[in-house]
Parts: sequence; structure tokens; C-alpha cells
Amino acid sequence: MNGRFHDYSSTILKGGSILAGLLLWHLLSEYFIRDTTFIVSPLVVVKTAYDMLFVTGELYPHIFASAWIFFYGFLLAIVIGVPAGFLMALSPVVRDYVSPWMMTLYTTPRIAFAPVLLLWFGIGGGAKVAIVFLGCVFPILINSFYGMRVVNRDYVELARSFRLRSWALFLKILLPASVPFILAGIRLAVGRGLTGVAIAEWFGATEGLGYLIFFAGQTLNIPTLFVGITAFAALGILSFEVLRRIENYATPWRNGLEVRD
Amino acid sequence: MAGPVLELRNLSKEIPRADRDPFIIFRNINLSVQEGEFVSIVGPSGCGKTTMLRVINGLLPHTSGEIFIDGKAPKVTDNELLMGFVFQGASLLPWRTSLKNVLLGLEGRNHSQEAQRVAQKYLELVGLSGFENHYPHELSGGMQQRVNLARALAVDPRILLMDEPFAALDAQTRNFMQLELLRIWAQTKKTVVFVTHMIAEAILLSDRVIVFSHRPGTVRSEFKVPLPRPRSMEVKADSRFLELENVVWKQIEEEVNASGGFTQM
Repeated sequence: MNGRFHDYSSTILKGGSILAGLLLWHLLSEYFIRDTTFIVSPLVVVKTAYDMLFVTGELYPHIFASAWIFFYGFLLAIVIGVPAGFLMALSPVVRDYVSPWMMTLYTTPRIAFAPVLLLWFGIGGGAKVAIVFLGCVFPILINSFYGMRVVNRDYVELARSFRLRSWALFLKILLPASVPFILAGIRLAVGRGLTGVAIAEWFGATEGLGYLIFFAGQTLNIPTLFVGITAFAALGILSFEVLRRIENYATPWRNGLEVRD
Repeated sequence: MAGPVLELRNLSKEIPRADRDPFIIFRNINLSVQEGEFVSIVGPSGCGKTTMLRVINGLLPHTSGEIFIDGKAPKVTDNELLMGFVFQGASLLPWRTSLKNVLLGLEGRNHSQEAQRVAQKYLELVGLSGFENHYPHELSGGMQQRVNLARALAVDPRILLMDEPFAALDAQTRNFMQLELLRIWAQTKKTVVFVTHMIAEAILLSDRVIVFSHRPGTVRSEFKVPLPRPRSMEVKADSRFLELENVVWKQIEEEVNASGGFTQM
């Protein structure tokens, strides 16, 4: 709002908040709860992360394993969720067929599906990707559906008054009008997808960040456990940043339309 | 003399209702509009004038009667764009720049370079050169309506249908836009049907003013505007202007009273 001053002070506040949190954590672990099987200082976590990244390099296979599962599940959710949402929006028949299944699958906790998916798809990548997919697909599908359903009636009238054919109505009006909704759904899916990765790797995996955290927890290896959590957080932040860039690129017309506080 | 560009014969629109008589929006409208003529339709709120414009444009079906354009009944499936519609809200697509909004009706009909040239030409005509790459939210309300007008004109329609295009603008901008429309109309020589609830606006712009009755809408009367062109805001002080405004107002007042008074609207 106040331009540069606001950006500047906002950055200071955010940075200060992070530092204060880390300091509090450090003080707690150093002076109040001095039990390394319970909590360790963020400095220890950083040291462990450094070793795992640059000395032993043992973190990389876990990161790559998780990132690939996340990427495939996420991509599959977009590839299937977006067109499925469109079909539901455009065809009442499809809507009636799909919606009871969608509501059931959406509201059932995904962790309940994990064992059966593992049985079906085996302990390899397939089951894990399926779990991530199941987490990501519904926000994307629902938002794509909703985005196309709420397209401003005026735009549709406009298309009719220009005698646009139905494919042109779809490509020039319905699709671009839905893009912000689809992107919002995709953003929602990031968190759910990462949760899916963690769940998938808790059940019978031999690598991945979820496995790392699970194993570290079992062996009371608190520093490694926190490194795993931090890596998950980094993966999430990275995904958000990539999405933000895609959004700016895909919807340049929204720059300046967004509500700023 | 050639036949009328637009002709309505006994045009009626009803909305069927369960267990009751149909709801009649307007009935037995007869209207001819000649080439290059500017005709305004005024009437009390809810008299069906906007609905009629949408029926003419094929956005809504009619119940009975006929619509002819150049003597032929248009089909909705016709690919040829006979009518340009200027909406009340600018209804510009927010993801398209001014130029691309104007291009909407041209895409797929013209060669793309030709379309660009035409869109550019009409943006220029409405006074928006230099704003080609602005998105709608970067334009003022008046500018948005200019794009709206350019978009309708760009397809070179036989008739321009305008549905209270300046109603949402502030009074000052509205005055400027009325003058702009006079200028643009003089340059393009389009046949225009203009719906408004503002009597002064109708008189200032038109060759002929049609007064609608209250619902169900019928043509109550029509007046030729006895003012020479080109016109400016000064004609509003002309005694003939004031006299006509007074007569039309009296009629609309009667219609409103006949429909149960203003509070019933």
C-alpha cells in the first residue's frame, strides 16, 4: 500500500519473526529442556543438515525420492483433475455420476487408503504416487469445476452476441475465466501432496524424507528428524515459489487486481 | 428508397408461468429503422425495452412476431455478424487488453493481420490509441465503454444495438460520452437502436424517439426529433428540445401512474 516503505517493513517483520522463533527454540533446548532425545537446538539441526548435504551426502537420495513421488503424483492430479473438473462443470450427467464418488473419496481420510494402495500397487513408486495423487486431485478437480461454473454470465452473453462457436466459447471465455480458480486449487494441493508423500513413505519405504523422519523418530535421532522436517518445508516453499511465478506468467492481467493489505 | 434495415412485426415476448396466464414482457411491437437512422427507445423501468433489444440480438427467444434485417429473418446460427451489441456494463474480458477485447469478434473471421489493423482503427476512432495494451482494470469507466463501443463497431454490423451504455457512468463522463457517440455515429453512419431511461439523452442523440408504455411494453408514441445536426450540448437549451423533453416526460409519468405509481415499480 505504502509502496516501498511497506515492502521494506514487511520484510523486516517477517525476518524478525523467523529469527525470534529460532532464538526461542534455541533457548528452550539449551537452557530449559536439556534432553537431546526430546529437542535439539536449531544450530545442531543446521550442523546435521550441513553434514548430510555436504559431508556424507546422505540427504540427497531422500530428497530426490520424495521430490519425484511428489512431482509425479502432483502432475497426474493436474492432468486428470483439471479436465475432470471441466467435464463435470459442462455436463450434468458427468456431474451426477462423479459427485457421489468424489464426495466419498474427498472426505475419507487418505491415510485409510494407504495400506490398500500399497497392496494393490506394491511397495514401489506406484502406490506412493497414488497416495500423493489422491491427496492432490480433489482440490484441483473441485476448483476447476467451480471455476468453470461461476463464469460471469455477462461473458457468456457476450460470446453469444458475437456468435462464438462452442469451442471458441470454451477457449476464449470459459477457460481463461477459470484459470485463477484452477491455480488456487493447485496451490491448495501442494500442502496435501506433501502430506501424501510423508504418509506414503511411512508405510514401507526404504528412502525418502518421510522414511527418514519415521526412522529418525524410531531411533530417537532428533537432529536428523528435524532435518527431514526442514527439507519438507523447503520442498513446500520451493513449490509455492514456482507456482507463484507460473501464476504471474499465466495471469498477467491480475497484477494490480489483487487485494493488497 | 431501400427497405428498412431493421423491421419488427408484431413482436411479442411472454414468459410462461405454471397455473397462471403467461407473464407478458412486451407485445405487438412494430418498428422500422431506416439505413443510418438513430432511434432511441425510452420508457418506464421494467417496460421491456432492454429485453426487446436482447430479443432482437438473438440472446433471448421471442414468443411471436417477426424480426427482419434487410428484409430477411436472421438465424442465430448465421455466422455473419449483423448486429453489434453494446452492453450496459462494459463486460470487457479482464484477461484481454483493450486491443484483444476489440479483436474478440474479429478473430476467426478476418485474416489476423487484417483483424489487428481493423481493431486498431476502431480503438483510434473511439479515442483510445495508446491504450491498446491496457487491461480493463487499468481503464476508467468511460474508457471501458469506449472499448465496448469499439468492439461492437469493429465487426462492421448492419445495426448497432446499445443497451443503456452510459447508465453506469457519472454525469460528467456521460455527457462527454454522448458527444463522443454523436461524433462517432456521424463518422460511421451506422444504424443504431439505443435503449435508455434518460429522455434528454434520447433526444440529444436520436433522429427518432420511441416511447414505450408500462408493462407489458407496447409502442405508445414516437417523435421525430426536430433538431438539426451536427448537435452539441447547446441544443439542450433549444426550445424545441425542451418542449419535446416535456412531452415525453409527461407520457412516461402517465405510464408510471397507470402501472400503479412509482412506489409499485
